[in-house]
Amino acid sequence: MLEFDGLHKSYGDNRVLEGVGFTVAPGSMFGFCGSNGAGKTTTMRIAMGLARADAGEVRWRGRPLDEAMRRRIGYMPEERGLYPKMRVGEQLTYFARLHGMGGADAARAAGEWAARLGLGDRRDDPVEKLSLGNQQRVQLAAALVSRPEVLILDEPFSGLDPVGVDALAEALLEQCRAGVPVVFSSHQLDLVERLCDSVGILARGRMVATGTVEELRRREAGRVLRVVVPDAAPGWAAGVPGVRVVSESRGDTLLELAGGTDDQAVLAAALRTGRVTHFAWREATLVELFREAVADPAQQTAREQVAA
Amino acid sequence: MSAPQVTGQPTSPLSSGQLVRLVAAREISTRIRDKTFIASSVLMVVLILGVLVFQVVVNSGSDTRRVGVAGGDAQLGAALEAQAEALDLDVEVVDVDDDAAARTAVEDEEVDAAVLGSGGSAPELVLREPDSTLEALVSGAVSAVSLGQVLSEAGVDPADLPQVTVTTLDGDSAADTQRTVVAVVGVVVLYSLLILFAQFVAQGVVEEKASRVVELLLATMRPWQLLAGKILGLGVLGLGQIAVIAAIGIAGALAFDVVDLPGELVGTVLWLLFWFVLGYALYASLFAVAASLVSRQEDLGSVLTPASLVLVAGFIVAVQAAGDPDGTLATVTSYVPGLSPMVMPVRQAAGEVAPWEVGVAVVLMLVAIALVVRLGGRVYSGALLRTGGKTKLREALRAREG
Repeated sequence: MLEFDGLHKSYGDNRVLEGVGFTVAPGSMFGFCGSNGAGKTTTMRIAMGLARADAGEVRWRGRPLDEAMRRRIGYMPEERGLYPKMRVGEQLTYFARLHGMGGADAARAAGEWAARLGLGDRRDDPVEKLSLGNQQRVQLAAALVSRPEVLILDEPFSGLDPVGVDALAEALLEQCRAGVPVVFSSHQLDLVERLCDSVGILARGRMVATGTVEELRRREAGRVLRVVVPDAAPGWAAGVPGVRVVSESRGDTLLELAGGTDDQAVLAAALRTGRVTHFAWREATLVELFREAVADPAQQTAREQVAA
Repeated sequence: MSAPQVTGQPTSPLSSGQLVRLVAAREISTRIRDKTFIASSVLMVVLILGVLVFQVVVNSGSDTRRVGVAGGDAQLGAALEAQAEALDLDVEVVDVDDDAAARTAVEDEEVDAAVLGSGGSAPELVLREPDSTLEALVSGAVSAVSLGQVLSEAGVDPADLPQVTVTTLDGDSAADTQRTVVAVVGVVVLYSLLILFAQFVAQGVVEEKASRVVELLLATMRPWQLLAGKILGLGVLGLGQIAVIAAIGIAGALAFDVVDLPGELVGTVLWLLFWFVLGYALYASLFAVAASLVSRQEDLGSVLTPASLVLVAGFIVAVQAAGDPDGTLATVTSYVPGLSPMVMPVRQAAGEVAPWEVGVAVVLMLVAIALVVRLGGRVYSGALLRTGGKTKLREALRAREG
């Protein structure tokens, strides 16, 4: 298990992390979401020993991470970093060696990863001559080249074209299947939803939601029903008891049902207006879950007070 | 302590020494292909060869002259050699059979000049080209011989004539001058390489910060390991370069016969190498720490200026010290850490410096290095790790200055 446990971190008066914790099982992928400045990067930097937590620790296999164990982690920093004038192949070999691989092993692994990420013919080019997308691939190869036990990647998908996204996703899934726990942060929630076994949403230095996407959906209280009734007059559902109209546009209606409300009564009301072309519970997307989770509670309270 | 390794695991724990060596090896292999480095190496070698060629050209006037003496007049030959000795000229006396053979020898350029009819009353000097020095030499020798003959015929012993006794007060002056020249040339090279390699260190530090690769590096090692590897790697390269230049210089100087005292020359050069190591340790650390405060190559100049000025001052004082090695300025600055690596070798070459004086300068220098490494190391770690806050640190320093 890779465990992030009760991480606190302040820079002066700015409290960045206030008890961040989650666990990632070996062979599973954890999507780390949160608004800009929520503390994702700080959390990852603490794991890599680049920032010191005021409290809390990160453990791997039950032991707090130390320098030797960190060498077994593949890391991709948010601020990409490579030696601009160093050749791709030499650079990957160097990073493999810094992670403890022998010279010949490192060179072989560097060649393999360069080839796998489509950089085979660019191995002798200096990194600065590569396109940004290819530099990103080198960066990923640098994280993977030492055959790490754990992967911690900060925004690995940002700046990649769709082909690159697929290549990276495939590489990460393969690592997962080999038993490596993978933590990555991303703003591309569709990707997180597609790839991750579990998701953590960070807001204002706290984990506001963790679990599988399914669990998060189930936890979401308000149930939304989408009914499409092309012939209905506006406001057709307003009179149905226990129903709140979320939105309505030319018959395409989103309804929130209070607990205990019979959805069949809603269907009956819809049928009374004429044709019903769509009637289904709508699954919240991760985007909606995310919006809900990171919404500032202070603002939410204010809105509720206005409504009351 | 070590955790059981999973079989087939490709990696093993790295020691600090291994990490430092990896960093150092990267620095060397990157720099050795660097255009600035190659250009500077070529320039240095050209400079040294230029100095040698210049010396040879300037000294060419004192080349050995071959003077043929027809009929093998031993008395004249001895007189010529004695005269040459007195005038500090290199002259080789060659015996030639007769006047005709002597002329041919001059025409065939076997000798530079020949004295014909030396035994008679009208000796003749045949020269290949006009050479007033040789004319004076030969006339002096011929007069000396005839004067001796006249005197002995008159029954006067030449030894009874008044003799000038010569006393040289500063007997070593020629050798000292030679060593000082070597020391000054050496200090020029030492200063150039100090500036060059300390700059390399500083550029490397900024490159890692600017490209953000430092974050990836520090995920695998500690800041001091990175700094130590960088300074050691470039230091080995710098020492190698100065050693190659020294070897070329010594070999060239001996081959071209520019210096007469190989032992003294090698001693001075070894001291220069020693001071290079100390100077490099100090300046590389200073430059690295200064460089860690900024994250763009453009800002490097401003933070390096203070340390560079000390280096320039040391160089100027060293050149001045070559002219006045026992002056107060040279004596005092030869103890000052940072200046001593350039001033002390000149003083050592130029005159008597007591071993304790060198010892004091070395100890002070070592203390300064230890201080810079300790305090600077802390600044370096702090500034490197604060990727987001580095500007804050700089602003803090500026605020303190302002």
